[in-house]
Amino acid sequence: MRLTALLSMAARVVVPKDYRFGTNRPWTVAAKRLNPAGKKRRKVFVEPLAPADWSVLKGDTVQILTGKDQGKQGKVIQVFRHRNWVILEGLNTHHRYIGKTEDYRGTYIASEAPIMLRDVALIDPSDRKPTNVQWKFTEEGDRVRVSLRTGRIIPKPVVERRDGIVPQQWKDGPKDTSPEDTLEKTYVPSLKTLEEDVMEKMGIQETRRNKRSYWY
Amino acid sequence: MGVLSTLLRGLVRGADRMAEFTSKKGARTHNKGRGSRPTGLRLSSRKFISIRSMIPEFVVPDLEGFKLKAYVSYRCPRGTEPPLTARSVFADVVAPQIKKDFQEGVFNKEQLEKYGFESQQEGKLFKLYPKNYVR
Repeated sequence: MRLTALLSMAARVVVPKDYRFGTNRPWTVAAKRLNPAGKKRRKVFVEPLAPADWSVLKGDTVQILTGKDQGKQGKVIQVFRHRNWVILEGLNTHHRYIGKTEDYRGTYIASEAPIMLRDVALIDPSDRKPTNVQWKFTEEGDRVRVSLRTGRIIPKPVVERRDGIVPQQWKDGPKDTSPEDTLEKTYVPSLKTLEEDVMEKMGIQETRRNKRSYWY
Repeated sequence: MGVLSTLLRGLVRGADRMAEFTSKKGARTHNKGRGSRPTGLRLSSRKFISIRSMIPEFVVPDLEGFKLKAYVSYRCPRGTEPPLTARSVFADVVAPQIKKDFQEGVFNKEQLEKYGFESQQEGKLFKLYPKNYVR
C-alpha cells in the first residue's frame, strides 16, 4: 500500500476536530512532530469571532498595542483565523538558528512570533493612529471597513500574487493571447451541432449512414 | 524517492498491492493492452485487416490568421459567459424569426420546419435522440 497511500496522503490532509493549530501548516514534518496522529494536546481556547467580523486582512498595516514591540506599526504577512493570530513583518521577533547540521551551527535569523488579534489595531490612513473598525455598507452597496473615530474608509489591501506577477504590468510573451483577442466574441449561434458545422466549413461530405442497431 | 524513503521509515514493509496492474508489471509473455480500441478485424486465418474508417483521423482546419494562442495574458479581466443551453440557443436563433413572422401575420403552427424543427431524426447523420455525437 505504499504508492497509493502516498498519493492519498498528498491529496488532502484530514485534521481532527480538536487539532491544535500552530504556525506550521498541518501537512509539514514540523507540524506532525508537534501534533502526531492520535495524540491529544491541551486544548487552547480561542475567542469566538464570526468570519464576517474579521477586520484584519493580509497586507494591512496594523499597530501593536501590548507587548515587547508596543507602539510599532507593521504589515501583516500571515493571518491564522483558527487561533486569532496575526504575524507582522519583522516585529515581535525572537532569534533562532536555522539549517543546523552536525558541523555547522546554523544561520542566526530573526523569526516573528504570532500576535493575538486583541493586541493589534488597524491604522487609520488619515492620521496614522490605531483605531477600532466596523464593517459598514457604502452607498453603492460595497461592504467596507470604517474607522469608528474618524469615519474614514480603510481600503482593502492589494493582494499580491505569490509569484510576484503584477497583472497590469504584465508584458505578453509570444505564446500569450492579448486581452482584446481573448475577449472578442466570435461565436455565431446556430442550430448546427459542432460536428455539422465543422463538416460544412471543411467541405466534408458523408453520405454513409449508420446501420440500424438495437439494444435491450 | 525521498518521499518514498520517508514512508518506508514507517512500520509497514512490503509491495504496493493496491497499485493498478498494468502491462508493465507482468511477465514479458503476458499481453495486456492499455485500453485502445481495435482498428480492424481479425480473420479466422489469424490475419488482421486494418479498416481505414476505424482508425481515428484528426481533422485540423487551416490556422491561417487565427489569433488565439496557447496561453492567456494576465491582464485579462476574469469573468464567465452565460452557459450555453438549448433555451439560450433557441432564444438567439429561432425566437427572433418566429417573432418577426408572428408580427407580419405569416406564422403557421404547422410549418415549423423552416425555423429548424426536425420532426424525424431518421435520415440524419448526427441524431439528437438517441444522441450519437460527442459534443
